[in-house]
Amino acid sequence: MPAFAQSIGLPPQNSAAVALLVERLRVEFPVLRGKPKVAIRDLDISIRPGEILGLVGESGAGKTTLARAILNLPPAPGRITAGVVQFDGVDLLRLSEGELQRIRGRDISMVVPNPRGELNPLVPVGVQLASIAQVHLDKDRHSARAMALEMLQAVQIPDPERRMRAYPHELSGGMAQRVVIAIALMCSPRFIISDDATSGLDVTVQAQILELLRHLVRKQSSAMLFITRDIGITAHFCDRVAVIYRGEIMEIAPRESFFLAPRHPYTMLLLAAFLHNPQLRRAWTPPDASVRANVDTEIGCAYTDRCPRARKICQTTKPLLAERISGHFVRCHFPLERE
Amino acid sequence: MRIILYIGRRLLFIVPQLLGIVLVSFLLVKSIPGDPAVLMLGPTATPDAIASLHRKLGLDHSLPVQFWIYLKNLAHGDLGTSWQTTRPVLEDLIQRFPATLELVSLGLLLAVLIGVPLGLASAFNERGWLAGIANFYGLGAGSLPDFWLALVLIFIFYTTLQWVPAPLGRIDLTIVPPPPVTGVLTVDALLAGDWQAFRSAAGHLVLPALTLGLINAGPILKMTQSSMEKMLQSDFSRYEVLCGMPRRLVVRHALRNALPSVVTIISVLYGFLIGGAVLVEIVFSWGGAGQYAVQGVLNSDFYPVLGFVLFSAIFSLFVYLVVDLIYFAIDPRISH
Ligand SMILES: Nc1ncnc2c1ncn2[C@@H]1O[C@H](COP(=O)(O)OP(=O)(O)O)[C@@H](O)[C@H]1O
Ligand SMILES: [Mg+2]
Repeated sequence: MPAFAQSIGLPPQNSAAVALLVERLRVEFPVLRGKPKVAIRDLDISIRPGEILGLVGESGAGKTTLARAILNLPPAPGRITAGVVQFDGVDLLRLSEGELQRIRGRDISMVVPNPRGELNPLVPVGVQLASIAQVHLDKDRHSARAMALEMLQAVQIPDPERRMRAYPHELSGGMAQRVVIAIALMCSPRFIISDDATSGLDVTVQAQILELLRHLVRKQSSAMLFITRDIGITAHFCDRVAVIYRGEIMEIAPRESFFLAPRHPYTMLLLAAFLHNPQLRRAWTPPDASVRANVDTEIGCAYTDRCPRARKICQTTKPLLAERISGHFVRCHFPLERE
Repeated sequence: MRIILYIGRRLLFIVPQLLGIVLVSFLLVKSIPGDPAVLMLGPTATPDAIASLHRKLGLDHSLPVQFWIYLKNLAHGDLGTSWQTTRPVLEDLIQRFPATLELVSLGLLLAVLIGVPLGLASAFNERGWLAGIANFYGLGAGSLPDFWLALVLIFIFYTTLQWVPAPLGRIDLTIVPPPPVTGVLTVDALLAGDWQAFRSAAGHLVLPALTLGLINAGPILKMTQSSMEKMLQSDFSRYEVLCGMPRRLVVRHALRNALPSVVTIISVLYGFLIGGAVLVEIVFSWGGAGQYAVQGVLNSDFYPVLGFVLFSAIFSLFVYLVVDLIYFAIDPRISH
């Protein structure tokens, strides 16, 4: 493991301190009478304690699949066909359902999007929160309730006493999101996955919730995988940023390096879209996208058919995720060069 | 408080609902070809005799007037008279409706006891052998005619094994029925403390109830299985698993969410079986309300048919009210 940690650019002195390590993870969705569709392809990621890693990518890139595969619960009918998810010295992908139960929601928890659909409609919010404490922390009913209330206060829900008795349908989207965050933070997990948790909220609520998440993560010195479609958020929220495209990491770098010296053509396109800069956007869109051949993503670069820099080699050889400068990795044959 | 308002509003709607049902069934029954006067007087009747009987029966009035007279009588608790039994329809139904209710209720109870556990078991393990049995059963029960199954059961358990009494009515002819209180023979026998009558009535009940149970377990099984599967795959169940909730808690929550659909199918079957059990009633000479209504339809005997429709409508509305109360208790989205 240390060798691998080194190979993806963690400073050697920190190599032992890895909160979560994903290696060669592969998730496939079965296709009727055909080759399965690879949603996550041989993906490597490592996250240090206390670190917030942003994961950016367009819809369908495989972000949710990755998030759930980390908890060994890929979206049905997807299957994890290879890889390792190392947490606390064990491979989560080799654990039994019972062992996973003790880790999920306690050591690793997840903030889900659209939480009103994810909360049980027939159970009051307070009971759902308290049952987490009862199940994972062995609390009795009474102290579990007290903890639940405390958590609701911590996520700054207005009138928490009343919300305890509320049912999910009685909450606004922002409040439901806070409830799900409270559930995720209940057991002070060491690793938090936030999957698109703030999309669909209005901007002020979004800012509040991000601030809250960061505060609580820092307080508990947990690590976090922060998944979003909005590259702008990562600029002030994450320590490192990774770009995912068709189930592969295309670029991963510390925040400053990522935003000051982006190197992957796809990253450029994402930034152009975020900056609402049509000129930049045109520059990073191939003029003749339609005429390009369908690339076999198994052997070629997944981005070839959308890349203005693509050449012959991109179709025939998949570029490695290579380190350009310290900690800045790019998967591209022809990355943007900086001094 | 909320619940009282809710029930009040429901009860308010029952009267117009019943009126609508009576009107539609009145028109339908009157549109059945056939003249009771001709049937009553026989083939040798003179036109004069038929016309005078028409006047006596009120059939010479226009349809709206006939309906108005029927409604007026209804308001006084008079459901008309059956020309076949020559008794007031109300009396006939009070005798026969409990017989049907007893049969259908027990049959449905058996169906629930068979269908719900099988459905749950197959939902938990979609590829297990229980699921295989359940699927096979769902297909089989759905494709078997109930009267045929009744005949098979009679052949096995009466003709061959002699375990049950002959399929002739609700109680042995040699046994004096208990004094009617509820009209449900088993209950009345218990109330009277008459064990012999109870044993006989229960024995007669076994096969027809089993027939209904086996047939109607099919849809209950299917509904339980599919709604439970849906709930176990739903976002909130997945989220609970994601939060590390133990399996039994996830299952319990899924079950609670699946319950309304199961209750719905049971209630629909309940209302349907009041009339839908008629073939089973005929095979076992049950003398229930369904049989009575069918005799009425076949012999242009209007009032038994209308009375039966009215009784079943009231019963169905009552069942649906109970179902709504169950929803009310289960689902906060309705009650809040
Ligand atoms: N239920 C499914 N059936 C088949 N393929 C799926 C399913 N869910 C996801 N996928 C595939 O996995 C890819 C990644 O999906 P997802 O992880 O949901 O993306 P994201 O969260 O980044 O929007 C999609 O492009 C899709 O092809
Ligand atoms: Mg997603």
